[in-house]
This record gives sequence, C-alpha cells and structure tokens, in this order.
Amino acid sequence: MNWSNLIDGELFASVVRALIPVLLAALGGLICERAGVFNIALEGLMLIGCFAAVAGSYATGSGYLGVLIAVAATVAVSAVLAYGSVTRRADPIVLGVALNIFGVGVTGFLLVAFFHVRGVFQNPKIIGLDTVRIPLLADIPWVGPVLFNLTLIGYLALILVIVTQLVMFRYPLGLRLRGVGERPTAASTLGVNPNRYRYGAVLLSGVLCGLAGAQLALGNVVQFSENMSAGRGWIAVVAVMLGRAHPIGTFGACVLFGFAEAFGFRLQGNGLPAQITDAAPYVVTLIALIIARKYFKRGIVSAVIE
Amino acid sequence: MTTELAADRTLVRRTLAWLAGPVPVSIIVALAIGAVAIAIAGINPFVAYPSMVEGALTGRGPANTLQRATPIIGMAIALAIAFRAGVFNLGAEGQMVLGGLAGTLVALTMPGPGPVVIVVACLAAMAAGALWAMLAAVLQTSMGVPILISSLLLNYPARYFSSYLVRFPLKEKGSSMVATPMIPDDTRIPALIPADSAWGTALRHSLGKENALLLITRNVNYSLLVVLAVVALVIFVNRKTPGGFESGLAGQNLRFAQYGGVHTTALVIRTMIFSGAISGLVGVMLVLGSDFRLIDGALVGTNYAWTGLLVALLAANRPIGVLVSGAFFAALIVGGEAMQRSDGVSSQLSQVIQAAVIILIVVRLTLPRWLNLSRRHGRDLPAITDRVTADDEVGRV
Repeated sequence: MNWSNLIDGELFASVVRALIPVLLAALGGLICERAGVFNIALEGLMLIGCFAAVAGSYATGSGYLGVLIAVAATVAVSAVLAYGSVTRRADPIVLGVALNIFGVGVTGFLLVAFFHVRGVFQNPKIIGLDTVRIPLLADIPWVGPVLFNLTLIGYLALILVIVTQLVMFRYPLGLRLRGVGERPTAASTLGVNPNRYRYGAVLLSGVLCGLAGAQLALGNVVQFSENMSAGRGWIAVVAVMLGRAHPIGTFGACVLFGFAEAFGFRLQGNGLPAQITDAAPYVVTLIALIIARKYFKRGIVSAVIE
Repeated sequence: MTTELAADRTLVRRTLAWLAGPVPVSIIVALAIGAVAIAIAGINPFVAYPSMVEGALTGRGPANTLQRATPIIGMAIALAIAFRAGVFNLGAEGQMVLGGLAGTLVALTMPGPGPVVIVVACLAAMAAGALWAMLAAVLQTSMGVPILISSLLLNYPARYFSSYLVRFPLKEKGSSMVATPMIPDDTRIPALIPADSAWGTALRHSLGKENALLLITRNVNYSLLVVLAVVALVIFVNRKTPGGFESGLAGQNLRFAQYGGVHTTALVIRTMIFSGAISGLVGVMLVLGSDFRLIDGALVGTNYAWTGLLVALLAANRPIGVLVSGAFFAALIVGGEAMQRSDGVSSQLSQVIQAAVIILIVVRLTLPRWLNLSRRHGRDLPAITDRVTADDEVGRV
C-alpha cells in the first residue's frame, strides 16, 4: 500500500463533499434538538429529498428547480412529523422510525411508477448542480480548491454553521428556541408559544434535509439509487449528539464522518475490500461516541432521549 | 336476562368503539393513501386492489402468506420483547444477518447427522445474534451510548462483514451468483409435509393438487412451528414470570421499576440478549429453510427486520397481536407482489401502506366525533385501543 498517495488535496475535497449532506441534515436535527423534539426522521427525509430532487430536475430540466421541489417534498413530510410529535404528542422516536421506513418504501415505489426502473435511475435529462468556483480564493493552494469550489448548497451549508451558531446564542430567536426546548413551561409563561417554535424547528429541519438530499443526488452524484442516503441521516443524528447540539461541535463531528468516508473510499482504491471501507464511517462514529461518553453525563442530548 | 342484554350492548359498543379507534381507521386511511399512490403510478386502484386481495388469499396465496409471515412474526416478536421493556432495539437487521452467517458456517462445515447440525446451527445463530445485541446493550449500560443509536449503527458492520465473507472467502468458486455453496440436503429445514413423502402423496390424492391446505403443508416449513413456540414462550414469560413482569414494568415506567428494586442494567442486557437471539434464529431459519445458502444481501434485502418492527408497533408489543398483525402484513406483501405481476404496480406499495398504518396510529388518527357511532349513546367509553398508541408501551430508551 502506498501511503504517500493517500493524503492529498483531492482527499480533502472529497471530505468536504462527503460531509455537506450530513452537515445539513445535522443542522436540522440540531435545531429540533434545541427545540426539544428528538428528530430521527432525518434519514427518511434526506432520502425523500434525494428522490424529489432527481425527479424534479428530470421533469423541469433545471437543477435548481429540482432543489426547490426536493425542499417542498421534505417540508411536506416533516409537517407530518411536526403535527404528530407536537400537536398529537406522539412519540417522536416511533414516528421517526416509521417515517424512515415510509421514505424507503415511497421512493422505491415512485421510482418504478415514474421512471420504470428498479435500483438505480440515471438519465442525461437529470441536470446536476454545478460547482461555483470563486475566483482568486479558489487559487489559494490547498484550501482554495477544497473550500471555494463547491455547489451553492455547499457554501450555504458552511455559512449556515456560523449563522446557526450566532442565532442560537446571540439572538433572541435562538434564546427563545432554547428556552422552549429546555423549559417549555417557563417559555410559555414569558409569552413564547412552544408549539409554534417546535413546528418551526421541525419544518426547518425538513428544508435542510431537502437541501441535503438534493446535494447528495444532484451535487455529489447525478442519479438516484434506492436507499442512497445509506445511513447518513443516522450519522447526522449522532453528529448532533457528539457535538452536544452546538453548531461548531456538530460541524466537527460531521468532518470526522466525512473524513472516514473519504479516507475509506481512498483506501478502497488502494486495494482494501469495499465492504470493509464501507463500514468505516459507522464504526468510526460509534467509536467517537464511546470516546465522548463522558460528555453524555451532562449533555443536553441525554435529557431528551432518556 | 337484563344483565345479558346489557353485556351484549356493551360488547356492541366496545366493538364500535374499537372500529372507530386508531387501528381500523388507520388501516383504511393507509389503504386509501395506497390507492392514491397506485393512481399516481397511472393504474386504476379498483383493478389493482382486487388483484392484491386475490393474490394474497387465493391459490398459492395463503401458503405464500404463511411462508412470509413466519420470519416477519419472528422478527416482530424479537422486537416486541425489547420494546415492551422500553429497550429500543433498532439493530435486529444486523443480529439477523449475523445469525444467518453463523448458522450457514455451521451447516457448511459441521459433519454429522442432519438434525443435529440443524440444531447446532440454530444455537450458533442465536449465540451470534445475542452477542451482537449484547454489544449494543453494553454500549448503552457502560459506555452511555443510547441503545437506539448503538444498535442501529452496529447493523452496518454486520451487513458489510457478512457481505465480505460471502464475496470472498466463502464464495462458491465458479458460480455466477455471489453466494456460499449450497448447504447439504439433510441440513435443510423440511416442509411440514414434504411433497415427496408418503404423507405428501396421500394428501395430494385426497385433497387435489390445487388445495390450499396441501400447498401450505408443502411450502411452509418447520420454522413456522418454531416461531409459534417462541411466541407461546414469550406469552408465558410475560404473564407468569417475574422477569416478564419486570420488563413490562420497566417499559411502562423506568423510574418506578428502579424504585421497586428492578436491576435495570441487567434487564436491558438480558432483554437485548433474548431479542438478538430470536433475530439470529430467524436469520438461520431463512438460510436453512428457504435459500439453502447465504446469498449476498439477501437477508438485508428481505426487509423482514423493519417489517417486523412495524408489526411489533401495530401489535403494541402483544404476542397475540404480533401473530395477527404479522399475518396481515405478510398478506399485504404477498398481495403486493401479485399486484406487481398482474398490473405492474411496484410491490414496494406494501411497505408504503405498512409504514402509513403505523404513522397514522402513532398520531392517533380516529374517526371524527360525529362519525363515531359508539359515542352517540350515553357516555363515552374509554376506547379499548387507547393503549395501542405506541408511545405508552414502546416507551423510551
């Protein structure tokens, strides 16, 4: 095995590519977490986003309209989660798991219904999202090609990390959202309607998962394949836990995952069986969780799921 | 006399209340959603649904349904015991896969009489499933990783590890299929009454070739009896043993159970061991009973673990309910496949309907008050399905 060609600029570029869908979904999960809704439907939402993006792009001939359609679809599905878990006070875990299974079924069903194929749908009529190169900045060695040659969704994801951090901890909106999550009764005493914030958080996670799906299906590749989210939504759930629902921390966890995926892929090119490297992101995530266990004792995450 | 009448009226009212409750309403609405999906696919639901019913209930339908119901009920009962104890095992898929793998290894390598090999293979599969589940449990109890996450993430290494073994070291040389060699004939789980046995021929002569009962005895194997025995055992444990009582208590109210002296750490580990063992058993029975070899991706591809999860939720973790809902969901799958053959509607419609049923039940969809006949007379009865709302029983991690 040649170690010297394992790490180079291209590796970091693929880390960023791998992390963006997870990061978007994780930001959605984070906002829900802060509002007191444990959202584990990220996986299903992301998958539905992938399908709707591909179908939308195929039908309209525009990648960006595909993104819009993806967002519309995932917002619609997340409305079910919001109604169930907020208005009907259903168990979000059970609802989330059922929605994930629904996502696999409905995308597989519609794949046959619309495009008469099973498994993978590739077609020249699916228009992908081009990367937008930022002049000058992209010429910076190492950092430039990695950070300044992304799709618009990619830039948005990175900017949203900072925006979420600011809003969550520097603006009244974030304060109220956190209040709703931590002390709903206190928040409502102060005139903040917890349900409204929770609806907003869940619907926003729908938007972010739609973007995540679109990035996965129109940015990273230009195709839809059954179950193509492949556990990334779950990794996003874990990223929120690892980051203790802090945007910067969650971003760090996503980088870890992106690195595991990209590095695994690279090792695969160097002769390691695909089955071993495919398992890498999940094993790495699990090990990271174990190492981070001391944080769990006082993390806010444990309070929600216990 | 009057009390009898009153009892009758209560029964009618209770039935009406149940019919207006979440389960039937959710099933009907989910079927309506399915009809919309069929229409979106450009096919007339009034043509497609009848062929679904026909496929599930006529000809080979009942035999196929029972055949499918066996692993689904098995996975559902494995998950039901976990959920009942408030342990959210999402790793049944991995536990099933490793069970199938361990059982295949035994069946391929162990010499000796067939029945002995089958028993050892089943024990090995249960051990493998139990160990994988226990790993998830220990990650929660001593590492603080929620079991929901640990069990789910462990699915992937299990899936890829078995896929790796089937692709490389265990792959049958020269075969175009990515699978292990076939297991010996005498290590296959036999049908209830094999077609070529004396009984089988006698039955065919007396019942006729197309008889549903004959098809069932030929196509359904002993796995069904094993799964029924597991369900019976779970009923016994739940109702008659302290362990079953404790797990039900912990699922209802963890703090109360702790206060009452239940050792919850041991309970979580024990529950996961049983849950994983049953999942592993289902995995090996699929290999020894239907595929006769481990095919790459076949156990994951069946989706039985997730169907079983939905069944356990529909049944609110009650064993008898698992039998009924398992048969129902299996009939949906068999009917869906028939619909795919005759009308070209993707069989994944079954999964859409199943998930929709659970989503609707979880959000407690009921008939609007003005449609609810049971509420027209006298006071409202507590709907007997109130407890089916999953979150009461499934509880939290």
